[in-house]
Amino acid sequence: MRRLLAGLAAGLLSLTAAACGSSGNSGSSGGGSPQQDGSASGSTATVRLGVIPIVDVAPVYLGQKRGIYARHGLKLELTTAQGGAAIVPAVVSGQFQFGFSNVTTLMVAQSNGVPVKAVANGAASTGVVGKDFGALTVKKGSAIRSAKDLDGKKVAVNTLRAINELAVRESVRRAGGDPSKVRFVELAFDQMPAALDSGQIDAAMVVEPALATIKSQGGTEIASPLVDVAGNLTVAMYFTSRQYAEREPELVKKFQKATAESLAYAGEHPDEVRDIVTTYTKIPASLLKQVILPKWPAEPDRNSIEALRKLGEQDGLFPKQTPDLDALLP
Amino acid sequence: MKTAKETEGARAGRAVNAALGAAGLVGFLALGEAVPRLGLVKEAYFPPTSRIAEALGQELGDAAFWTALGDTLTGWALGLAVAVAAGIVVGVTVSVVPYLREATASTIEFLRPIPSVALIPLAVLLFGTELRSVLLLVVYASFWQVLIQVLYGVRDVDPVAEETARSYGLGTWARIRHVLWPTALPYVMTGVRLAAAVALILAITGELVIGAPGLGSRLAVAQNSQAVPEMYALVVVTGLLGLLINGGARTVERRALAWHQSVRGEVAV
Repeated sequence: MRRLLAGLAAGLLSLTAAACGSSGNSGSSGGGSPQQDGSASGSTATVRLGVIPIVDVAPVYLGQKRGIYARHGLKLELTTAQGGAAIVPAVVSGQFQFGFSNVTTLMVAQSNGVPVKAVANGAASTGVVGKDFGALTVKKGSAIRSAKDLDGKKVAVNTLRAINELAVRESVRRAGGDPSKVRFVELAFDQMPAALDSGQIDAAMVVEPALATIKSQGGTEIASPLVDVAGNLTVAMYFTSRQYAEREPELVKKFQKATAESLAYAGEHPDEVRDIVTTYTKIPASLLKQVILPKWPAEPDRNSIEALRKLGEQDGLFPKQTPDLDALLP
Repeated sequence: MKTAKETEGARAGRAVNAALGAAGLVGFLALGEAVPRLGLVKEAYFPPTSRIAEALGQELGDAAFWTALGDTLTGWALGLAVAVAAGIVVGVTVSVVPYLREATASTIEFLRPIPSVALIPLAVLLFGTELRSVLLLVVYASFWQVLIQVLYGVRDVDPVAEETARSYGLGTWARIRHVLWPTALPYVMTGVRLAAAVALILAITGELVIGAPGLGSRLAVAQNSQAVPEMYALVVVTGLLGLLINGGARTVERRALAWHQSVRGEVAV
């Protein structure tokens, strides 16, 4: 008994020591300032970037692997989170110096007075109807042929009142339908193929890799809502907090340059992208081959973001104040 | 003679129980294999047992899986240790200090039912997506399990024993050590066992929702990647982990309470 207790105590002690060690690493970045030894002198500074484990963030993984960030004097630490809802507060409170988020979330955050500042492009729609990484899909053999037929139908989006709902509403409008008659329900992307298949929903606004699953089961695309919003819609961006942007303009500039370079590299090397995706997701190889990659232009497309803001205003996404794009965008 | 027969009977009973348990498990696995194969549910969304077992084998061969398992167990063990220590100290203090129990009762009853999951936004704000945010959830959820049991356990102290100890001039500390603690220990062990299970649930939930490293975030990645068999394989792992933890907690309980009636019951009479 005594030996058992002694063993337990020793185990706990070593665990505590391990935990102290790991939290010690991040302790200095907890206050919002990175571990750095003088950014002006050109030495390496550590920055933490919060990302969601999806295909869209492949360029930063590639940039890290290919040493693009290191060349710009940044030691990039990638931390995955389960969604923008976890990343935005962590960036604002200084746990991460940078984060990845879709543009609508950033606009909503800014209109609610959350101090966010977009610094680099994230991912963009391909701009090609029928060949985008997100699509409005219906089940095999469905009577619904276009977005116009969605009157009174149940359509799944991953988050209500966010980018995908806005985009589907626009598709319905363009097809000559009435978006107010569409019943939107919230469902995680990964659950959409099964829900569509079993008839719980009539249509799904889905992105890769769930889109590839739906297509492999014979589902069809009836619209490319992201393309309907704007030709080259900027879907997501990397951002920081306004305080950090003001305090560390040099580091932010380095991050911008390295990210732009990584985006360009990813755009030119789709095979390497597909390779690196397997290191942080578990997308089955057979599915990954069919996945349509997003576009990674080095700069965000301001016009497309304006278009998105207009749709957001129209659908009442910003009740407090209209987002100020001059302040939000780099 | 009689006792020998009894143990023989008990042994036979245990063997029957084990056989029934194994048969139940085999039946369950066979059902899991048959239902998707017969097309009652789609294989794409509910893979048969053999496919899940294959994915599980691949997981076991992946170093990243063991790192994730280690992360989850670290969060679980640390959280549980903090919760148990805090629960015992707070519980005993609240019971021993006069009027403190009455003063804190309503606060405890107010805080206790708040689901730990509701604290996720707070955890993220304070600690980002690190181990510490999971720890907050784990400690919050399992602390109450221990505390409540300690409070009940202390209330169970025999007043005669307590008065006897007092009249023999035992001090507060000696009375805690020799009267209160042995009475409360069975309750504390129950609390620890409940807390161990709750801590595991919250560790995995926290990782799943927040994305802190561990089995939960690996599960979420598999889910988002449309890797259905891998996802079920990880679900199986969490189930096995729960089974092991419950078994371990029961063993610790039996060892710590070897002297207590509830454990040596059949020998006592």
